[in-house]
Amino acid sequence: MAKNVLLVDDSSTMRKIISRSLRQAGLDFGEIYEAGDGQEALAVLEKETIDIVLSDINMPNMNGIEFLREKGNRPGIKDIPVFMISTETGEDIIGEAKSLGAVGALKKPFTPDKVNEVLGPLM
Amino acid sequence: MGSFIDISDKLIESTVEIFTGMVMMEITVAGEPLSNLGPLQHFITGMVGLAGTQKGVLAVHFPDQVAKEVTGSFLGMEVDEINADVHDAIGEIANMLGGNLKTIFSNRGKDIQLSLPSTISGEQYSFTSQAEVDQIILPFKAPGGIFYVEVELEH
Repeated sequence: MAKNVLLVDDSSTMRKIISRSLRQAGLDFGEIYEAGDGQEALAVLEKETIDIVLSDINMPNMNGIEFLREKGNRPGIKDIPVFMISTETGEDIIGEAKSLGAVGALKKPFTPDKVNEVLGPLM
Repeated sequence: MGSFIDISDKLIESTVEIFTGMVMMEITVAGEPLSNLGPLQHFITGMVGLAGTQKGVLAVHFPDQVAKEVTGSFLGMEVDEINADVHDAIGEIANMLGGNLKTIFSNRGKDIQLSLPSTISGEQYSFTSQAEVDQIILPFKAPGGIFYVEVELEH
């Protein structure tokens, strides 16, 4: 069954680009939901049926690391996989994200081919 | 400009990668680096601050028309005014370049943090730093005109 995706990024441009890249990569997905920061993402996760989250790290209000930490404390949503898509791909910050449950990371900028390569197995 | 000799090539590479891979626009280097831009007229600037063991700022300066074309290509739609989409797109380009600059410094043992991107635009403004800085301005040619990538690093 096609998976519902939640895109979390404070840039509306980047949310559109990621959405376009998912389509161009030919990945099979269902509904695409959007959130502008970690707080909005938690609200969407509590309300909608989401199968995978693609999240930025550097965001206002609640960044990607804080989002992972808070999500991990909520039993109903803690097991939904989160994949980081960010300009921040240093070993330290990605290591922290993975320790909080992130299943992988993709560096911006990216191409549809790269999206297919890293996200295809999750879809 | 000494501290830039070894990073300017990587900045050029990063800028071309972002434009060809994500903006879907071909660009080329438009001459030698500059040391001063002077007042910017009808421009939009996207920038991210650098903090940590290397302080400074990375900025991208686009003439309004180029910014609209870049945003249109980025989003795959017509853009005919400097609106929120243009500010967001130009800020995101600065953000991605800032991320690449962070990686360049990280590979040299410098730990820097990036601010969230911000933008300014207007009929005329100058982009200057009050701190003592080393500065480089890389000009690029897009189909609609010249734009600039600037890095200022505090001494």
